[in-house]
Amino acid sequence: MYKLTNLGFGQTEITSVIRLSDGACIPFDQANMDFVEYNKWLSLGNQPLPPDEPTLS
Amino acid sequence: MSLILDGTNGETFPDGSLQAAAASPYVLKNRIINGAMQIWQRGTSFASTAGYTTDRWSTIGYGSYNETVSQSTSVPTVTTGNAFPYSLKVQRPASSTGTVPVLIGQAIESVNCYDLSSQTVTLSFWARAGTNYSSSGSTLTTQLVTGTTADQGITSYVTWAGYASPIFNASTILTTSWQKFSYTATLGSGILEAAIIFYFTPSGTAGADDSYYITGVQLEIGTSATPFERRLYDKELISCQRYYQTYTQPPLRGVVTATTFSTRMAMVLPVIMRAAPTAVVGALPMYDGNATTTVSSVSATYLSAQTVEFDFNTAGSLTAGRPAIVYQTGSSSMTLSAEL
Repeated sequence: MYKLTNLGFGQTEITSVIRLSDGACIPFDQANMDFVEYNKWLSLGNQPLPPDEPTLS
Repeated sequence: MSLILDGTNGETFPDGSLQAAAASPYVLKNRIINGAMQIWQRGTSFASTAGYTTDRWSTIGYGSYNETVSQSTSVPTVTTGNAFPYSLKVQRPASSTGTVPVLIGQAIESVNCYDLSSQTVTLSFWARAGTNYSSSGSTLTTQLVTGTTADQGITSYVTWAGYASPIFNASTILTTSWQKFSYTATLGSGILEAAIIFYFTPSGTAGADDSYYITGVQLEIGTSATPFERRLYDKELISCQRYYQTYTQPPLRGVVTATTFSTRMAMVLPVIMRAAPTAVVGALPMYDGNATTTVSSVSATYLSAQTVEFDFNTAGSLTAGRPAIVYQTGSSSMTLSAEL
């Protein structure tokens, strides 16, 4: 299972997803093997969880 | 003393030194990274799960996993002493009755193997069996598998174009003593990925040491195995860090942000990675010059092969507008992986 990260300051699109099993932040980079696995997971019809609401400082 | 050419033993030079094999004309000839099992960034003992172990060497399961991997100080003794610091011990756990192949392999990145197309290459390595090695005939299957698509990853090597017909698929017969083995073959054209694979199929119930040990793994262009290429430790580490980096309290520096995000922190990587890395961030200790807290979660990322940058949520409050650092306390870590 995965969860999208937030849209960060200066970002116009979300750039990574968090693998919930180990908390790994996976960048949206086609050369990243974990992103390749994530895309396979998506191709099976799965959908990631929406991002958390960011906390305030 | 004159130069002695001996077809059996090699060449003896005037200073008495013996060179048993032709010198390779290639600089940095060995395409295997960490072939001497020097670098262990992830630890020195690995449970029965899929994934990377000693740097660049990965287990691969066939639907299930039935092996442990560990660092061993059992190494071959050669004429100049112990040539290798460690070997890689790949073991079916004691008392296991599983019979899935016990496998370890290394994928070679496209940029480091494309020039092997149509070349004759030689793989050489040292190996020995554990005292309870259960492989039929004491064989260790040794394969060189190639593909024509760049960098599909070691875990999917069974889908590579060349999987069904490995460049070589040798049955290396092990004993409990260290031996050096080599295999030579010619690759096809258009090679964009390659992998060295070692495995055995266990049988019966595993004894205390149902394992094989390997070290000194070298893949080079040429028709014979030349002496193992010894690279200095720092050079080998840099090669490994292209794929994986680990830090205790990484030198992340940044600023406590005003409203939406707690803290933005970044660092330049000492070695450019193969691709934007997957980051696993622990509860890093943070300090803004006034208060301390820890990272509770990652809100957003800005990851590249050269730099990592995060928006962190924190467990406690820091003061907006202050600089912030990850400071030196405890043992929380960050790992970055851009493995194949």
